[in-house]
Amino acid sequence: MDKKITTQSIIAFARNNLIILGIFVLAIITTFVEPNFLTVENLQNIMRQFGPLIMLSLGMTFIIMGGFIDLSVGGIISLVAVVTVSLIDSIGQVAALIVGIVIGLICGLLNSFLIIKGGAFKQSEALFLTYGMSVVFTAVALIYTGAAPVFLTYSKTDYSIFTAIGEGFVGPVSVSFIIFFVCLLILYIIESKTHIGRSICLTGGNMTAARLAGIPTEKTIVFIYAVSGIMAAIGAVVLASRVTIASPIMGKGYETQAILAVVVGGTALLGGKGSVLRTVIGTLLIIMMSNCLNLLGVTTYIQYMLRGAILILAIWLDNRKQYSEGN
Amino acid sequence: MNTKITEPIKNIFSAQKAPIAMLLIFITMLFFKTPFYTSYNLIDLVNSNSTLLIVAMGFTVVLVAGGVDLSVGGVMTVSGIIAIKLINSGVSIPVAVLVSILFGAAIGAINGYLTVYQNTEPFIITLGMGVLLTGVAQELTTARPISGENPAFQNLANYKLFGVVPALVLVMIVTVIVVVWLLRSTSFGRNCYAIGGDYEVAKYSGINVLSTKTLTFVISGMTAAIAGVMLSSWVNSGNSTYGDQTALYIASAVVVGGTSFAGGIGGAFKSLLGVMFIGVLSNAFNMLQIDSYIQQMLLGLFIVGIIWLDCYARKVKTETV
Amino acid sequence: MDKSHSDPILEIKEVSKAFPGVKALDRVSLEVFRGTIHGIVGENGAGKSTLMKILSGVYQKDSGEIFFDGNKIEDITPVQSMKMGLSIIYQELNLVNTMTVGENVFLGRFSEMGGRKEVHAKARVLLDSIGCKIDTEKEVSELSVSDKQMIEIAKALSFDSKLIIMDEPSSSLTADEMLELIKIIYDLKNKGISIIYISHKLDEIFDFCDVVTVMRDGHVIATRNIDVISRNEMISMMVGRTIENEYPPRPNYVGETVLEVENINTKLLKNVHFNLKKGEILGLVGLVGSGRTETVRAIFGADKVKNKSIQIDGKLVSINNPIDAIKHGIALVPEDRKIQGLLLQFSVDKNISLASLGELTHYGFINEKEERDISERQIKALNVKTPSGKTRIQLLSGGNQQKAILGRWLELKPKILVLDEPTKGIDVGAKYEIYLLMKKIVEDGGSIILISSELPEVLNMSNRVITICNGRITGEFDPLLASADEIMAKAFEF
Repeated sequence: MDKKITTQSIIAFARNNLIILGIFVLAIITTFVEPNFLTVENLQNIMRQFGPLIMLSLGMTFIIMGGFIDLSVGGIISLVAVVTVSLIDSIGQVAALIVGIVIGLICGLLNSFLIIKGGAFKQSEALFLTYGMSVVFTAVALIYTGAAPVFLTYSKTDYSIFTAIGEGFVGPVSVSFIIFFVCLLILYIIESKTHIGRSICLTGGNMTAARLAGIPTEKTIVFIYAVSGIMAAIGAVVLASRVTIASPIMGKGYETQAILAVVVGGTALLGGKGSVLRTVIGTLLIIMMSNCLNLLGVTTYIQYMLRGAILILAIWLDNRKQYSEGN
Repeated sequence: MNTKITEPIKNIFSAQKAPIAMLLIFITMLFFKTPFYTSYNLIDLVNSNSTLLIVAMGFTVVLVAGGVDLSVGGVMTVSGIIAIKLINSGVSIPVAVLVSILFGAAIGAINGYLTVYQNTEPFIITLGMGVLLTGVAQELTTARPISGENPAFQNLANYKLFGVVPALVLVMIVTVIVVVWLLRSTSFGRNCYAIGGDYEVAKYSGINVLSTKTLTFVISGMTAAIAGVMLSSWVNSGNSTYGDQTALYIASAVVVGGTSFAGGIGGAFKSLLGVMFIGVLSNAFNMLQIDSYIQQMLLGLFIVGIIWLDCYARKVKTETV
Repeated sequence: MDKSHSDPILEIKEVSKAFPGVKALDRVSLEVFRGTIHGIVGENGAGKSTLMKILSGVYQKDSGEIFFDGNKIEDITPVQSMKMGLSIIYQELNLVNTMTVGENVFLGRFSEMGGRKEVHAKARVLLDSIGCKIDTEKEVSELSVSDKQMIEIAKALSFDSKLIIMDEPSSSLTADEMLELIKIIYDLKNKGISIIYISHKLDEIFDFCDVVTVMRDGHVIATRNIDVISRNEMISMMVGRTIENEYPPRPNYVGETVLEVENINTKLLKNVHFNLKKGEILGLVGLVGSGRTETVRAIFGADKVKNKSIQIDGKLVSINNPIDAIKHGIALVPEDRKIQGLLLQFSVDKNISLASLGELTHYGFINEKEERDISERQIKALNVKTPSGKTRIQLLSGGNQQKAILGRWLELKPKILVLDEPTKGIDVGAKYEIYLLMKKIVEDGGSIILISSELPEVLNMSNRVITICNGRITGEFDPLLASADEIMAKAFEF
C-alpha cells in the first residue's frame, strides 16, 4: 500500500478522486431531495448490502494490485453456492461450509496454475483465461444441479448456523458485517505488514525487477488467486444464506461489479498501488450510489449503464493520472 | 531445441486445423443416426451462425490490427433494439437501419478514441462499454423483449431470395466478402496487418497508426450493429439478453480459426472457419444429445485450452522472463 | 552516372547531439562520396548508432548541418529520409515478421504500388536485380537473417536509394552468406549507390571498404582511405583517449577462488567458463551482443540454463532462479535500471529494502523499523541524495537511483557482486563515488564481476580482465601488463 499523505493542493486531490467526490455530491443532492436518505433505517439498509460484493471486491483488490485480473469469480460463486447448500443435509452445516471454501480455494489455485504454466503474465491474457474458467465453473455448477436451483428443506435439519451468516445479528451488528470486518482486518494486515502482501505490490509494480531482486513472484500469483477464490467462496456462502436458494447461475455479473468497486476506490488497474481499504470505500460508494439512485427513482437499468460508464471513466482518469505522474 | 514443441503448436493455429477438424466432425457424424445430415439442419447451421459471423468479421479487423473489442455484444443488442423501436414508432426501415449502423460506428469511434488516442487498454475499456450498453439495452426495453410491429421489418432478414436463401445469409456473405477484400486487397487492410504485426515498424514506415487503428474499432462497431439489426429482424423482436457472451465466444472462435490476439496474424476467412467450426461442433453435440451444460463446460475448457496454448506457444519462443 | 566520384552524396558538418547526462556526438564531421563503400568503426558508445539514427530521421540533431545529395536536411521523419534516397538497414531489421516478403518491401505503400499483384511483381523485379531467389509470397518469419537483409536491400532499392547504411549486417551471417552480401554490395557500388558499412569485424572493413572513419566517444578521430591505415592503427584510434574520469588506486586484495563457472551453453554462449577470486574485481570486456549480460544472468539464475556448473567456495551449487542466487550470496545489478532494477512508483526506502525483505521477515511479517534502518543506513553510507526515504525513486537523478540499487544489494553483503554497466548515464562525480564503493567492497572481502563498455573504467578498476566475443571467452589479461589495444583486439576476435 502506498498511501501518500500530502497537504499540497486540494485541487490535485480533487482531480485524483473525481469519482469519489462525484458520489459524495450525489449523496448531498439526495439528502435534499429525499430526506429518508439519512435515516438509521436507510443506513442499516446500506450496511445490509455488505454481502457478496464486498467479499469479492476485497479478493479482487489483491489480484489487481498484483497486476492481474480475475473474471472467474462469478463462476466460483455459483459453484460454491450450489455445492455448499446441497451438502448441508448430508454432511452438516459446518462441514458443508468448509467444503465450499475449499472449492473456492481449488478454483483459485487452478487459475493461478494455468497462468503460471502458460506464461500468461499480461493482464489481457489472464482476462481470457479466467473468463474461460468462469464458463467452466458455471457449467460444472449447472451439471451438478441439473440446472435446477438447490433449496433448503426447512423441515428436517437445523440451518441456524447457515442462515445466521446472511441474516443473523450479534447485537446491532449483522453477522455478515462481522465476517466482512474480520476478513478486512486479516487482508489489511497481510497487505501492509507481511512479506507476501508486499510482494503483491512489487509484482504488480514491476514483475521483472521484483523477480530479479529475489521476490517470489510465482508464489505471489498463486497467493492472490487463492485469496480471490476463497473470498468468492465466502461471498457465495453469504449470498446463498440470504436468499436460501442456491442457483447455478447466481454469480453472474459479480465480477464486473467487483472490478468497478476496486477501480472506483482508487486502486490502479495497472497494478502496484492500492489497498483493500480503498476498495471498501469504493464498494461503499457504489452501494451508496445505488441507494441514492433508488431513492431518486432511477431505474435499475440506468444504474447498470452508469456502472459501465463509470468504469470507463475511472480507467480513463486513472490512465491520465499515470501519464501526468510521468510514467 | 524447442522446435519439437513449437512446430505442432504453431500448426494448431495454422488454417489447416479448423477445416480438418470440421471434416473430422462431418465424418464422425456419418456414423450416428441423427438429424445432422438433414437439409433442415445444415441450412439452420448456416442461418443461426450468420449473425455471429457478421460480428466476427469486424472483430477480426480489430484483432488483426492488434486491438480487441469486447463491446460487440452490447453494440449488437442495442442496435437491434434501436432499430425495432424506431420502426415501431413509424420510422421507415432504411432510416432505422441507418441510424442503428451509425450508432455502432459511433460507439466504435469512442472505443477507438479512448484506446488509441488516450492510450488505454482496449480490453478493459471495451469491457466497460459492453456493460454500459447492456444497461442501455435493459433500460430501453425495461428488460422485456420488444416485438416488432412492422411485418415488413422481418423481411429484412427473412426474405428468401430464390425462395431458399434468407437475406440474412446474403448479408453475411456480403459482409464476409467485403471484409476479406478489405483485409487482403486494400492499403488499409495491409496496414492493419503491419500495425498488428509490429507497431513500431509500421509507424516508421509512415503508416498513420492512430487513425487506422481507430478505424478498426469503427468497423467493428458497424458490423456488430448490422448483426444486431439482422438478428432483430430475424426474430422480429428486440431483446436485451442477446449478445451476452458474444464477444468472448467470438474471440475464442476466431483464435481457433487462426486469428491471433497477438495481432498481425489470421484474417477474415480464417475467422469464418473458426466460427463455423465451433458452430458445427456445437450442432454435432446437440445432435448427439450431449447435455447442454456439458457442452458449456466443454466450450469453457476449449476457450481456456486454445488461449492457453496461444500464450504457451509464445512463452516457449522466449525462454527468459 | 552524371556526377563524378569526387562529389559527396552526404556531408555531415559539426553535428552534435546530447542526451541527459551524455554527449553522444560532439561536432562530428565527415563526407561520404558517391559510389563508395564507407566503413565506420568504433567501440560501444562511440556514437555510430546515434549518428545513423540522426541521418535516418529517428533522432534530431542538436546542432550542425547535414547535406544529402546537395540538399540541406532539417527535421526529417524516417519516411522522408527514405523517400529522399537514404535508407538504413538496422541490425534488428525493420520488418514485420508476420507479413510476406513482397509486402514488407512496400510496407505502407500497398495501393501506391497498385495492389497485391503489382506489389509482388515489383518486389520480384527488385529481388532479382540483386540475385535473390526468395519467393515474394513467403512469410518473413520463415527467413534466415541473410534473406531478411536481402529484403531490406530490396526495400532500399525500391526507394531509389542513393545511400544505404548497413548497421552490423554480418553479425548473424555464415561465411557463404557473407560472400553473397559482399557481391551485392559491390553490385550496388557499381550502380553508383554509396554504402555506409558499420561493423565490428575489422577484417570486413579492410576487405571491401574504400574509406573508413574511426569514431570514439562521440568524436570522429580520423577518416582515411583504407589502403593507408593499418589494423593496429585503427584499434589504437578506437581505444586511445584522454582520461576524463578519475579512478581511485586499484585495489589488490586478491585471494582464493570463490566462484568457478563452467559449461554455460545457450544459443549465443559457447562453453563459457571462468573463475573469480575472493577480493578480486574481474572485468568482463566485450562488444554489445557478445554475451556478457547473458553470462551473468545465467549465473544469477535469471535465465534458465541447463547443465551449467557453478561452484562457490569449492562447492557445487544449484541456481535455478534469482532467489537461489541470492541465497548463495550472489547479487546482480542489472544493465537497464529503469526496466529491470527500479520500481519507479515506489519510494526510495522500498527500493532499497527490496532484496532484504527475506531477512526482514519474521513469521511472515516484515519488520518495518528494521526496514527503515536499512534504508537510512544505505542512504547515508552511499550518500544518496534524496529529500527523504519516502520520496518516489523516479524523482531522483540517475546516479542516485543507481546508488540506491547498489545499496539494495550491499545490504545483503553479497559474496559475489555482479555489476552490469553500473555507471551508464551517470555524472562524473557519482561515478567516482561508485568506484570508491567498489574498492571498499573488495577491501571488506567481497568479489566483483564488472561489465562495462567503458574500457578505461574496466582497465583502471579491474585486477583481471577476460574478453568475450560472440559467446566465446577469447582471452584473459592483467590490465597492468597488457595494453588496451591488445585487450580490445581480443574483443574483436570473431
